[in-house]
Amino acid sequence: MGYLKDERPETMCVQGQWNIGAYKYKASTLMEEYVQGLRERKLVASLCFGCGKVILPPRNLCGRCHRRMDGRRVVSDRGTITCFIVSPPVQKGKLRVLGTDPVETGVLKEGEILVPVFVRFDGSDSNVNTLLIGADPDSVHIGMRVKAVWAKETRGALSDLEGVEPIEK
Amino acid sequence: MAKRNVAIIGCGQTKHSSRRRDVNLAELVSEAVYNALEDAQTHLGEVDAFIVGNMQGFGGVAQPEQWLGDWIGAPGKPVLRIATGGTTGGSVGQAAYYAVASGLYDVVVAVAWEKHSDSKEPGATMGLTHVGFANFCHAFGHGLSLRNLLATSAVGAAAGVAVYQARFYMHRSGCRIEHFDMVAAKSRRNAAKNKYAHLQWPNCTPEDIAKTELIAYPFRYGHICPASDGASAIVVAREEIALKKAKQPAWFKGVAAYTDEENQLQSESFGGVGVLDPSEQMGCRVSAMRVYEMAGIKDPKQEIDVAEIYQPFPSQELIFAERLGLFDDGTAWQALERGETDIDGRIPLDPSGGVNATNAIGSSALQRILEAALQVMGKAEEHQVPKKVRNALAHGWGGVTNFVTVTLLGDTPAQRR
Amino acid sequence: MAGRVALIGYAQSYHRENMQKTREDMVFEVVREAFLEAGIRREDVDTVVSASTDFLDGRTISNVFLSMANGAFLKDESKVEEDGAFALLYAFMRIRAGTHDIALVSAHTQTSTFNPHQVSFYTLDPLFDRQIGILNDIAASALQARIYMNRACVSEEHIAMVALKNLRNAASNPYAHRRMPDVSLEEIMGSKPYYDPIRELTMSPRSDGACAVVLASEEKAYEYTDAPVWIEGVGCCQDGYLRDRSLERLDSLKIAADKAYEMAGVKDPYAELDVVEVTERFAHEELLFYEALGLCRPGKAKVLIEEGVTELGGALPVNPSGGALGADPICATGLIRVVEAAKQIRGEAERHQIPEVRKALAHGQFGICAQKNVVFILGG
Repeated sequence: MGYLKDERPETMCVQGQWNIGAYKYKASTLMEEYVQGLRERKLVASLCFGCGKVILPPRNLCGRCHRRMDGRRVVSDRGTITCFIVSPPVQKGKLRVLGTDPVETGVLKEGEILVPVFVRFDGSDSNVNTLLIGADPDSVHIGMRVKAVWAKETRGALSDLEGVEPIEK
Repeated sequence: MAKRNVAIIGCGQTKHSSRRRDVNLAELVSEAVYNALEDAQTHLGEVDAFIVGNMQGFGGVAQPEQWLGDWIGAPGKPVLRIATGGTTGGSVGQAAYYAVASGLYDVVVAVAWEKHSDSKEPGATMGLTHVGFANFCHAFGHGLSLRNLLATSAVGAAAGVAVYQARFYMHRSGCRIEHFDMVAAKSRRNAAKNKYAHLQWPNCTPEDIAKTELIAYPFRYGHICPASDGASAIVVAREEIALKKAKQPAWFKGVAAYTDEENQLQSESFGGVGVLDPSEQMGCRVSAMRVYEMAGIKDPKQEIDVAEIYQPFPSQELIFAERLGLFDDGTAWQALERGETDIDGRIPLDPSGGVNATNAIGSSALQRILEAALQVMGKAEEHQVPKKVRNALAHGWGGVTNFVTVTLLGDTPAQRR
Repeated sequence: MAGRVALIGYAQSYHRENMQKTREDMVFEVVREAFLEAGIRREDVDTVVSASTDFLDGRTISNVFLSMANGAFLKDESKVEEDGAFALLYAFMRIRAGTHDIALVSAHTQTSTFNPHQVSFYTLDPLFDRQIGILNDIAASALQARIYMNRACVSEEHIAMVALKNLRNAASNPYAHRRMPDVSLEEIMGSKPYYDPIRELTMSPRSDGACAVVLASEEKAYEYTDAPVWIEGVGCCQDGYLRDRSLERLDSLKIAADKAYEMAGVKDPYAELDVVEVTERFAHEELLFYEALGLCRPGKAKVLIEEGVTELGGALPVNPSGGALGADPICATGLIRVVEAAKQIRGEAERHQIPEVRKALAHGQFGICAQKNVVFILGG
């Protein structure tokens, strides 16, 4: 725009920041119920008494009915894969999350292939996003039957559900 | 349809690039506004109100229009700020329609923008992370393992949501990765004909795209949209003024923005969602149905002449084209193969290159409306489709693929009741 | 000619300094109550316009996980990123456009999430004011107060009298949380100083709260209620940036008010309005509002407060609900003023009810030193 100002290659640069770390979010108590269920190796879903939908992990509200999802239902720990991603082998320097490289910090192993999946556990009307463990990546397919993999020692945390593994035919 | 006929009488955008370091934010926005006013042969004194929007978290300036309003002539006039994620631009454009259709204002300027290069993190990574940030904080407190988080959310990086969506579509329809290569190549070829677009590659072929590395099947680096700095603006006016100012105004014939349940990502506080197939996009279906009803369109497959679809990922051009009723379920990829969606095809999709070639997040959904308007007005220059445009569709999606805006522009006003 | 638009129902939360509820619960409960109060079901709603900001909520796309709580599933939804009163303006436009009949307007902020004064700092010009780092919204407002005090010969005591009125009025408002029925002028003038002349008790508190309003087109209003509250006039305006505008007056409020009066056919606001609800983030702002709203001649706002004209029992009560000084959940505050004004018209204001209210004014603002303003004239 010639008439606004003279053309110049670069503006001056001034610094600023926004402190995301100072926020205090409120959490619902629903997660407590869910992780207590995980401690007992149970998947506790919420149930809407209006439309009958069963949602896992549990959520507070049913948007269709505009009412609280007061019901609780334990769903099976067996389910079906409805979607999946097969990552290329993990490499150092390719991924940066929260300011760190997960291979450098040892969270992910160099060369490993990750298979995040959507699993619909029997009885639930929602997908759970988790990892497929101990399966040949080439064998993964939509419709594959899987069952939950629990941590050796459950302690009432989200990590109690480590992932899912194929059910032997 | 509404009582007042409302049209777009002028469009203005800025050149989009990954780093517009020659302007600051205010100058970028005013570039678009003044281009639009010039195109509309309207001066600031004739403008009754401004509707503005962007993703303020990405630029780090809160309520930026309070500062940069002075640059665009806003003081002394009503200014409304709208922000709805990826659909921000579409929501801004639709708000301008409602502002004039309500009778409160006669001439309204709608402008939306994004200046990604202002933030230190590449592209919009920081801002996008914050969509779910509050939920993750909560989940970490309940023992979410970092490995699980990284593996499930970070694989596919910012594309994560869309990768699953693409896989669902491929499974249902038989579409293959080659089709995404074709869409991405078409976007870059079309963008080369659009002087404001970002990723311009005049002779891009699907093979060129196929050479790029896989991020996570079926997405390649060559498929992904860029993060652009840019702004778009439109001038919206009521019937009498539109007829005076523009040779061929782009009339609003239908607008809708029906929200869906959160798709794929968690709901508030990490809860699950009842949408099993994220390529289902019920909100988009319903919005399209409503828009066609408002506009009196009986057969969109025949009556829509061109569509600007919000497709940061090539899979979404096909998915949303079907959801908008332009093709039968699962057949869009076949139409692509037959060349029907090329710029000179039967139903050109994204002749401007679309979001796949230019993505200034706050602005890109308004840019779809703007490009659709250019097609109707015959002002798209090199990327003008070589057919008479009676109806042009503009689409946007945003949020966790639960927000959508669908706008139909036409060469004549809608029927009066 | 476009038809009229009415409020047919509304609800607000019991505002708290730190509400022990998630924002999803808070919003859901208020929206649910608004539906019940209006006598509608979620199915009847055509469009939802919500108000919240990303910076205040600490979430990009602040409404993305709130659509279900707002009742917006498969509804035509949008979000205004400022005060709820502006969302009301947008919903009003949507109905007047003839495309929708019933609209839900919802607004919320939980300031316990993040200090709102910190957020205001981020609205400053990033090139200069943020770099220098002296100003924030309180400091800027203090400058405005001082400029006005000099021009209009207003003392700190006048400002404290406004605060006194509002804090005592808030005591009759069960929804407000800073209720001080026995507060004295000395207590106010001795409260913790921020930036001279602003003190703790002359500025709004930090609050968590939500508010929801149901609007209906003229055709539908009487289907749901015998007592619709009509929006007779509306005006909206934004001023120039902080350093480029005249701080001693509120030009944008005057323009907005004049537009609203014109639309509503109000020629003499002082005589024709029965009650006024304004968003006074700082007590001195209310004096500036009196002038900009045309309730008195320029420089004479102090007369209104000296003579008790704007008291609960005065000739033209202002903020019988206690205003923002009683509770200020930022984005919800302006919409709450609309609700309080509507309650006065319907006779639902209980202990702070003004007798025989037929016409009311409600005001919302946003931005440092009330940079942008929206005014509604409501009638029974």
